[in-house]
Amino acid sequence: MGEVINKTGKPLQVNPIKMSQPMGATLAFLGIDGCMPLMHSAQGCTSLTKVYYTRHFSEPIAIQTTAVTDALAVLDGGDYSITESVKNIGKKVTPSLIGLYTTGLPETKGDDVAGIAAKVDSPIVYVNTPDYEGGLETGWGLTCKAIIEQLVVAKETVDKKKVVILPHVNLQPIEVEKLKDMVAAFGLEPYALPDLSTSLDGHLGEKQSAISSGGIAVADIKQLGDAALVLSVGDSMLKSAAALVVKNPNMEHHHFSHVSGLEATDDFVAVLMVASGIDLPRANIVRWRQRLQDAMLDSHFSIGQTRFLVAAEPDHLAGICQSLYEAGGKVTVAITTVDSTQLAKVRADKVVVGDLEDAEKLADEYDFIIGNFHCEALAHRLHKGLALRGFPNWEEVGNQLKNDTLYEGGAYFLFECANVAEVWRAHKIS
Amino acid sequence: MSTKPKIKELLNETGCAHNTSKKIACNAPTPGATTGGCAFEGAQISLFPYADAAHLVHGPMTCIASSWETRATKTRWAGRDLTQMGFTTDISLNDVVFSGEEKLTKAIDYIMENYSPEAVFVYSTCVTAMIGDDIDLICKQAAEKHKVPMVPVHAPGFVGGKNLGSRLGGEAALRNLIGTKEPEKTTPFDINLIGEYNVTGDMWQYSHLLDELGIRVLSTLSGDGRVADIRTAHRAKLNVIVCAKSLISLTRKMEERFGIPSISLSFYGKRDTSNSLLQIAKALGDADLIARTEAVIAREEAKLEAKLKPYMQVFAGKKAVLNTGGNKSWAIASALQDLGIEVVATAVKKATETDREKAREYLGEDGVLMMNPGAEQAKLIDERGAHLLLAGGRSLYTAIKKGIAFADVNQEKKKSYGAYDGLLNLAEDLKNALENPAFKLVARRAPWEK
Repeated sequence: MGEVINKTGKPLQVNPIKMSQPMGATLAFLGIDGCMPLMHSAQGCTSLTKVYYTRHFSEPIAIQTTAVTDALAVLDGGDYSITESVKNIGKKVTPSLIGLYTTGLPETKGDDVAGIAAKVDSPIVYVNTPDYEGGLETGWGLTCKAIIEQLVVAKETVDKKKVVILPHVNLQPIEVEKLKDMVAAFGLEPYALPDLSTSLDGHLGEKQSAISSGGIAVADIKQLGDAALVLSVGDSMLKSAAALVVKNPNMEHHHFSHVSGLEATDDFVAVLMVASGIDLPRANIVRWRQRLQDAMLDSHFSIGQTRFLVAAEPDHLAGICQSLYEAGGKVTVAITTVDSTQLAKVRADKVVVGDLEDAEKLADEYDFIIGNFHCEALAHRLHKGLALRGFPNWEEVGNQLKNDTLYEGGAYFLFECANVAEVWRAHKIS
Repeated sequence: MSTKPKIKELLNETGCAHNTSKKIACNAPTPGATTGGCAFEGAQISLFPYADAAHLVHGPMTCIASSWETRATKTRWAGRDLTQMGFTTDISLNDVVFSGEEKLTKAIDYIMENYSPEAVFVYSTCVTAMIGDDIDLICKQAAEKHKVPMVPVHAPGFVGGKNLGSRLGGEAALRNLIGTKEPEKTTPFDINLIGEYNVTGDMWQYSHLLDELGIRVLSTLSGDGRVADIRTAHRAKLNVIVCAKSLISLTRKMEERFGIPSISLSFYGKRDTSNSLLQIAKALGDADLIARTEAVIAREEAKLEAKLKPYMQVFAGKKAVLNTGGNKSWAIASALQDLGIEVVATAVKKATETDREKAREYLGEDGVLMMNPGAEQAKLIDERGAHLLLAGGRSLYTAIKKGIAFADVNQEKKKSYGAYDGLLNLAEDLKNALENPAFKLVARRAPWEK
């Protein structure tokens, strides 16, 4: 936990890793089954976002745009473009939910999306996500909060077995599934909101590319109010958790900054033990903990002599840095996108809210880079080790099945880092 | 006078065939039923390949966060490849309220101090266009201060689609760069390559042949391009438009202003490549050049045919369905035919009138032009007994269900299929697709499926 540099004083971003709020909102709505994400924007924001995620997941991405034009931007307060969009979507498919979210354009002209959404005659959730504020994490978080506020029915009794997981945006589909599996392993009934584990997990099947294929059902979201337990993962989900617990005074909430590494997984499991009354988890969970312990020891020699740059969004950053720390890795530089309560807690010598140009200037301080696709060119230019993590990863396939969390994912993550670091060291010496 | 081009004028391009008929191809998008990129993306596509210039996007985060480092437009520029960098003012709420002009000026200063580019292109976006930031004035002041061209690009996304944006990009080059510098020398065989972006090195698949023939590429818009070269483009003898209808406004204006004629070509497949080389020679109008070009074509075709021989055996009797858009609806079809593959259907939903005519020409009377490929392709695979589906990723499942091979048409974004050598790359990829057992194996029934 080191120095946090919040403002670099630059008038621009050079080689950004930051992404926008509407891009986060898109993914959140894609975690709902049969949903049609509808971006209130000019057509390009939507098209670029669609291509972006298609390339990351190697899957068709459902999304539509209100296609605001310059004339409409002046004449229309959003009424026409939104109601017309809903009408046109309805001609082709019947989504279980329309997820309406804004960009900078309609926010600048001051469209009243709440008012318009109220008049729409289809199931709809709206959220304000201008792209001149926040980033991917906040866009996802705001959307999840809006879904809860607008859909979940308030209740007073709880179903003791029902558990809601609120995962941050950078948990890949398989990681969400592993969280659900862990909860289920204690005889509990998990729901993830949003749930990418069944929508963007990359499964073969006939896909309606017009609406999301998989995710949590709208009917299930409405009934989340009687969950006994809410588990939020990542500080960007705290507001969503707060919105959920007000739906039921008897709900219990536990927050985890992340679920990476031995300590955090122990904390997560401890909560599940209490909630389920099970004193000894299943054999394979116990076994995976032993494997992670072993992985920490097997990898510590390599990781312990490696200096890392981690470039990631705050919640993701916190998890990666903790995993590395536990095996003796020194994160000398952490680059992140926006301010967050996480930053002061991150296990890194220095946390900079900045971009990859800032990372490049500090090139002497690290050997190994963990970050998104844009870090690849940086690693090549600077001759550093590299592990690709985060959005986007256009270079590799199988992103949706990369698991870095809990005991199991933690073990694989440490092995990968140690192995890549050794290859890098061998090249450096030769 | 404002440097903002008149959108309406660009939409009514007299060079477009459809504007003489009643069909409207460049109309407004439908809310809730629109695909395709915006004008900003189009401008970015047409200008970003200038790797010696910085491309500064004045807007909020979505515009550049989702688009930088997405196009493999190769360059031989010896300095840092600025195309593969993302520069944005990343405007905040504060800028929206109080204007982003000061931030923009500082951002240009920062770029000049740290990267000393040959020029800075400044792209307006929806939000900054709407709050009325005066990028013309800021560019003018910055150009005086830094003594390099500063090019305002007025293509905010909400003015229209990608095609219009490319025109606006061409317009920005015409207004601010073309004709602002004299070339050191000229030759009788100077050409400009317009709309060739050198994606995956496509241009380099044929540019060495131009060199060999003594045809000089004076400038490009903008593949492997240099700012200093495009400034001299007004001295070329010929504009060669490569697969880019969007830029005919630019070439028409260059013809009016500088008397440069233009021809529109494709370097996809053997026949089109040969034909294009010959057309350039003919347009330059030199008998000796034409003779030399014919000789080079004969030599290259013979070389290619020898290398293609083993592939032709694999492809004999094979039929393909092609589902892509725009000029690719006929350009890829032509390349497939060059490989001896019969193209039984091609999608023309997203193609212009001219593209449809060309597709008909290549496919002949028996070929099907699919207006609704999503629904038609599965049926056509059965009816025509196709062995191969070339389409975007979302059609993969159709191929699996039909038990035929699949090739992602977007692979060309990673690997060049351009000109003679590119056709070999295509042949190799299609052979691999046809021989790959994965398509049939994944269609196997699971043990629990009876």
